[in-house]
Amino acid sequence: MHNTWLIVRREYLERIRSKAFIIMTMLMPVFMASTILIPAMLSGMKSGGTRRIVLVANNPDVAEAVKQQLIAPQQISDKSPPTKAEPGASKSAEQAPRYAITIDTNTTDAERTALRQQITDGKIDGFLWLTDNDLASPKVVYNAKDVTDFGESIELRNAVQTALTKRQLAQKGMSGAEVEDLLKPIDLDSIRIEKGKEGASGISVFLVSFTMVMLLYVNMLVYGFAVMRSIIEEKSSRILEVLLSSVTSKQLLAGKIIGVGAVGLTQTIIWLLVALAFSLPGLMSSRSIMSNVQIPMAGIVAFAVFFILGYFLYATMYAALGSMVNSDQEAQQVQWPAMLPIIFSIVLSTPVLQHPNSPLAFWTSMVPFYAPILMFVRVMVETPPAWQIIVCVALMLLTTWGLLGLSSRIYRVGILMYGKRPTLPELRRWLKYSG
Amino acid sequence: MPDTVELRGIHKTYDRFVAVDHLSFNIREGSVYGLLGPNGAGKTSTIRMMIGINIPDEGEVWLFGEKFHREQLQRIGYLPEERGLYKRMKVLDHLIFLGRLHGMSTAEAQRRSLDWCERLQLSEWTQKKVEELSKGMQQKIQFIAALLHDPDLMILDEPFSGLDPANAVMLKDVMLELKKAGKTILFSTHRMDQVERLCESICLIDHGRSILEGDLKKIKASYGKNTVQMQYEGNPPFDRCELIQSVNNYGNYVEVRLKPGADSQELLHMASQHARISRFELVEPSLEEIFIDVVGQNA
Repeated sequence: MHNTWLIVRREYLERIRSKAFIIMTMLMPVFMASTILIPAMLSGMKSGGTRRIVLVANNPDVAEAVKQQLIAPQQISDKSPPTKAEPGASKSAEQAPRYAITIDTNTTDAERTALRQQITDGKIDGFLWLTDNDLASPKVVYNAKDVTDFGESIELRNAVQTALTKRQLAQKGMSGAEVEDLLKPIDLDSIRIEKGKEGASGISVFLVSFTMVMLLYVNMLVYGFAVMRSIIEEKSSRILEVLLSSVTSKQLLAGKIIGVGAVGLTQTIIWLLVALAFSLPGLMSSRSIMSNVQIPMAGIVAFAVFFILGYFLYATMYAALGSMVNSDQEAQQVQWPAMLPIIFSIVLSTPVLQHPNSPLAFWTSMVPFYAPILMFVRVMVETPPAWQIIVCVALMLLTTWGLLGLSSRIYRVGILMYGKRPTLPELRRWLKYSG
Repeated sequence: MPDTVELRGIHKTYDRFVAVDHLSFNIREGSVYGLLGPNGAGKTSTIRMMIGINIPDEGEVWLFGEKFHREQLQRIGYLPEERGLYKRMKVLDHLIFLGRLHGMSTAEAQRRSLDWCERLQLSEWTQKKVEELSKGMQQKIQFIAALLHDPDLMILDEPFSGLDPANAVMLKDVMLELKKAGKTILFSTHRMDQVERLCESICLIDHGRSILEGDLKKIKASYGKNTVQMQYEGNPPFDRCELIQSVNNYGNYVEVRLKPGADSQELLHMASQHARISRFELVEPSLEEIFIDVVGQNA
């Protein structure tokens, strides 16, 4: 016990003090923040500034109605307050208008050709053909230099649709206020029900789950690999035999896995504290997205459990792989048996997130190698029955126990073997050596 | 008084390869014992079984009069042939870490580390990282690590390899001092000249078997004064002379083993016809000669 503790202590202190640890700990929150915030800011900005669009219609009233619809301030953004995640959206609304609209009542083919020429010359960005015939069909053509901005197409279609609906309703004798009331956009907010009570809203559950899954993923991958590298370093620096003259290989392996794991835990706790510190101002103001984030208690417990179990499972695998090779290059070649399941569980997390009760979700989350991520996702989205969680944790413990036995045997022989990598039959014989 | 080390027919097989074959020998307390053998003879495997890194398939290891148990490791200092240090650790931290693994307190480990570093002229390096030290300095650190906890038995596997002569002398002096203080030293090498000067008893192993074991003086005496050391200029036909059993020729120096009953004067007569002889001496065989002879016969 004393020896294992000394190994843990050395492993922990040396790593915590290293530059690599300090840099990674500081950079990760910056990286995470930028992956979440930058796309939100970019989509808020909308490329290209003001779009110059010509509405071509033989009925100027129709064109005017569509124009009003397009240049009217977005009703949805009026309703919901500007959010932290999209600071760019509110800013650009204050700046230049999205559309500069010109109305054209000349619907001849010559005019169509002329407008096409104007697009080519860059005088306008596009034109919308809104003749009565087209509207009756009902098929409207939008010509533009670039038509890949789906957001714009949807906006235009909605504008035409709303304008026409308003006109027709008005023609049927409804008042302007009645029409506005009827067409008021609806804000759909999905809220998770847990034990009969309202829980967190869909978007916040997703954001928090996503962040936590990333933490699980990074921890298993980075610190599992760190165990492997650390074993290789001890092999290549030839210090192992010195250590083995006072500790057993089991103590050494246990000390290493616990020590490296403690470093990962420290780092994750630092990150979580940073995240908490940043979301605190958000918690104060009720207008923030983060305001209704209430991570279910089960989620926090599940995170801790799967964080630790997942790490031990993969660290044990990485340790076995590390004891078979002699260099970092070789490590890259043999690490896939440990790396693939981690990546695969990230791939599977999307379907599991969408259908947490599907047979796919059930069976994959029961596989010990996928469980750390997939069972955690299920707990976060819709807590599965307790027996499933218990069976899943039991399977993980059993698998880790089995792998530990296997690993420590491979480790015991492998750390004193230099030279070429063992073949599978050789590996089988390693497992049989008495000591 | 029980012997410090007693190996009772230890045997170890890897797959079908026999690494150590029913090996037995005893090491007297306070002696310097040489474990010799060509590369791959089983020296390292033997040592690993003595300190519990590997467990023998058969046979027993007794240390300090008791059957091997892991607490005994606190009384053993081991300098393996495959040795190294954590490159990025500070020298003093590293020594304290290894000292604590041998059961010392932090304060004691620190005090003794600083003493030894001063003794081996490393004082100004104790706060440096290991990777900043030269190979020779790192080796002295490893030597300190092996004796930091004042072990009763020191096992040194090729302790002088890679050391310059000045540092080698420094280490040898420390070894002799430890011997005077009553410590037992097991010295494993294939450098025969060092063994000849330092060891009282030896065990020569080959293919995992003991092929020559016992008191070094007695072993040499048993071969008799049948060896000629000769310094010469010229080209005597040693390889065609029927007086000679074996010859180790360096060009202008030669060691010759005579056949049983051969007269050394006849050899001198033959050699003087072909070369100028500047030295001619009849001696006991050197350990190197015995080694080559015995290993040669064995193969």
